[in-house]
Amino acid sequence: MTPSHDDLKAYAGAYVLGSLDPDERAEFESHLAGCEDCAAEVRALGRVTEALARGVAQRTPPPELRDRVLATFGAPPQARPAARVRAGARSWLPLAALVVLTVGIGVYAAWLQVRVTVLEDRLEQALLQASAAEAAVAEARRVNTELQTTMGVLAAPDLVRIDLAGQAPAPQATARALWSRARGMVFTATNLPPLPAGQVYQVWVVTAAQPPISAGLLMPDAGGGGQTYFNTPPDIPPPAAVAVSIEPAGGVPAPTGAIYLVGKPGATS
Amino acid sequence: MGLLAVVAAFRKDAGDTQAEDVDCLRRLASGDGDGAAQLYDRHSRALYSLIFRIIGDEGDAEDVLQDVFAQAWRQASRYDPSRGAVAAWLLMMARTRAIDRLRARQARPVADAVGHERLAAVPADTRDAAADMIDAEEARRVRRALSELPLLQRLAIELAYYEGLTQREIAERLEQPLGTVKTRMRTGLLKLRDALAEGPS
Repeated sequence: MTPSHDDLKAYAGAYVLGSLDPDERAEFESHLAGCEDCAAEVRALGRVTEALARGVAQRTPPPELRDRVLATFGAPPQARPAARVRAGARSWLPLAALVVLTVGIGVYAAWLQVRVTVLEDRLEQALLQASAAEAAVAEARRVNTELQTTMGVLAAPDLVRIDLAGQAPAPQATARALWSRARGMVFTATNLPPLPAGQVYQVWVVTAAQPPISAGLLMPDAGGGGQTYFNTPPDIPPPAAVAVSIEPAGGVPAPTGAIYLVGKPGATS
Repeated sequence: MGLLAVVAAFRKDAGDTQAEDVDCLRRLASGDGDGAAQLYDRHSRALYSLIFRIIGDEGDAEDVLQDVFAQAWRQASRYDPSRGAVAAWLLMMARTRAIDRLRARQARPVADAVGHERLAAVPADTRDAAADMIDAEEARRVRRALSELPLLQRLAIELAYYEGLTQREIAERLEQPLGTVKTRMRTGLLKLRDALAEGPS
């Protein structure tokens, strides 16, 4: 069946965004060569992609790059910053956990993006006010960076979803890990039982080759929801499983307590 | 004078900028380093910002920016003004090469750590502050237009353009039917076109 002109014209948007599959693109390009109507559509939408190119946070390249670019083509890559582990529950996180687990990743990412937009506006306003407290600005920046980081994980091309199922101590608990080797792991859980005093939930990345790696501590809110972000080390193998155990406050180097949640990539809870 | 007025004044010069860019590109093609320097001074910040947005790593972003200028130099004689401004041509190359780099990094057996510090301090540079303010205002305008789109439309567009995902991959990522993603992407793009056309001109 040959697609009609209208069918093909509907490809124009995805075409200018570079989002067609190779066979669809070939089909559209061969049609485009002889169709002035579609060519006009592509030109009009092309201006939108230029706007998208310009619609990013502006940053200045390092001054020495100018000489490198102009003097010689082909310089060695630069050293990269070391990875580090972070964990923490922020005021916006319990709601985030609920959204990612109940409504799906698309809506979750959209929700985060709205938070980022709100925070960016607030940050801009704060920066414009001479009286703004430095601490407030720093906090807004920090939360914003954290949200951006989470967004980065969601959009990572190597994203892996790991859904975790509640085990015997907490059959009603559920969790989801969103894993990207390049960008880190976002872990969210709901319906975890309240913690006894002096105890904490600890998230583990289980790999085939190494002992379990701690991916941070989880202090659930009153509803049993919580979230952590784990900045994956560059040399870590892909996870065979992700698990949550109950451990003494402060966490432990290797799991000792009962397993509350566990899941493998590709499995659904 | 408000920023928007500055932007409006700047826009009037867009035609002149394009003419100068074409001249720079012509000189670049014939091996004149001065043409390259002028192009770099005018466009490196926008290109670098886009590349960094896509790959989120300063070292890689620097490499890709260098690649873009190398490619511009090789292909300068093939630039066709009827298909768009020099700036748009450079931005398109930057986007393509940044996505290629992103994909290549995924394919490597051990991926590099990524510093996703999008709000890192910006070093001082030689460009004048007014030009930077205009670019920042333009970026905000686009982001505002994007933020007014319904969420799935916005995500479909952003995942396609900044992350290089196909519609099929986006549908899988967002756990939405493919047909839904196709419709949302198209509707969102048309709305964005209208919203941006309404802006200061």
